[in-house]
Amino acid sequence: MRKGLIQATDAFERIVHWSLAISCLILCITGLGMMFQSLNFIGTLMGGLKSLKYVHNFTGVFFAVTLYFTIRMWWREAGVFSMPEDLEWMKVAGGYVWHVDKVPEVGKYNPGQKAFFLAVVGCGVIMVVTGLIMWFPLRFPAGLVRWMFVLHALGFVTIFAFFFVHLYLGTIGSPGSLPAMLSGWVSRAWLKKQHPKWLAEMEHEGKLVVYGEEKDLTGHGHHTA
Amino acid sequence: MNREVVKLIDTTKCTACRGCQVACKQWNELPGFRTKNRGSYQNPPDLQWNTWTLIRFQEHVNEKGDFKWIFRKDGCMHCTDAACVKVCPSGALYYTEYGTVGIHHERCIGCKECITACPFDTPRYDATTDKIYKCDLCIGRLKANQSPACVLSCPTGALTIGAKDAMIRKAYARVKELGGDANVYGDKFVDGTHVIYVLDEKPAVYEKLPLKPSVPLSIIVWKDLLKPLSLLAAGGVIAGSFLHYIIHGPKLPDEDQNQKGGE
Repeated sequence: MRKGLIQATDAFERIVHWSLAISCLILCITGLGMMFQSLNFIGTLMGGLKSLKYVHNFTGVFFAVTLYFTIRMWWREAGVFSMPEDLEWMKVAGGYVWHVDKVPEVGKYNPGQKAFFLAVVGCGVIMVVTGLIMWFPLRFPAGLVRWMFVLHALGFVTIFAFFFVHLYLGTIGSPGSLPAMLSGWVSRAWLKKQHPKWLAEMEHEGKLVVYGEEKDLTGHGHHTA
Repeated sequence: MNREVVKLIDTTKCTACRGCQVACKQWNELPGFRTKNRGSYQNPPDLQWNTWTLIRFQEHVNEKGDFKWIFRKDGCMHCTDAACVKVCPSGALYYTEYGTVGIHHERCIGCKECITACPFDTPRYDATTDKIYKCDLCIGRLKANQSPACVLSCPTGALTIGAKDAMIRKAYARVKELGGDANVYGDKFVDGTHVIYVLDEKPAVYEKLPLKPSVPLSIIVWKDLLKPLSLLAAGGVIAGSFLHYIIHGPKLPDEDQNQKGGE
């Protein structure tokens, strides 16, 4: 770690994030193996399509637990929009699509990230509920179960597309972002560009954890108010 | 050469001897379960994983007050546009060369999607093997130019099998002969079933016989719309991200920050 880096996420946040991300990815891959017969071979890697079914179902249980922690942990920061600055940000699409001289300053998570978070939460809950009903279809009326498959597919359409948006903007689309979810330490320059308001607030409240600065070693990242 | 077959069930000739039910169990080596008297000859009460065909007994009184006993042999209808084949994730359910719906049990993963999908409520699940079972119209016998076991056992000629067109003609000829409410059931929906009935009464009279069976709308939305959309949406996002990168460019931190803490 270099002197001057700022802690953006704590270890718990990163563990929950990657638990959710990896289980989500396994669910997408195994789900694709069942949705497309041409991708049935994915099951072969797991000892057959029946094993793949079990991998999918039990990963789903893990996903559900992780989703609970995700919601509990990030709802306050990423689940609610703070007006009017979020609206101003949305009007210029955060400066991501066309040139904007001054992107409106927003809190720790910008409305784009909030929209992504809410999509994951909304679709995640749909996937868990519909998935459980699809797991035990004979206990429910066929007319209900039939539409569970539709909702499950709709959730997949959304999550799968959003996954690639997230992948792009978490890596090459916004350089400097990835460390926030790897080591948790980000550069001041990146924070100034991406989350200036949060940086200013934390500095103002004296809660900023800067690597190499004595006074902050005690607090170690638990920047919850 | 078109090898499509149709099995015709002429309910007007059925005496409910249940020879077909027994022959089906015998040929397919299906065990029987102990049942109890429920006050009906219909036994077992419904299709089971080990009962692929069943004679339904129904007491019917018409408008004139005449009593009539209705017998209907239930089982897989072998749809041309089969919802079960459409939803099966593993290819366990498939269309055979005879136009019927066969099942590769070794491929079945026990997901039960076909049970939910079937408009006739035919497939049944066995928890012990974690697999689905249903009539395969004795595909092994068809391949050996033999009639299915049920057809072979039928003593009254209520069950016959043959080339699709010929059997449909035969069904309509029989309906004409019978007159009244007699009708052909099966050739008009799901692109035509490969098991068709000659019914003495209107279809609505028969228990557990759907009036307008079809591939459920939910399955069409799911398989024909959302399934391709999932790939299109993801592909669109990947293409969009690439275009964003080369046209607009990534969002980079500004170089000249007062503090050289980061990049």
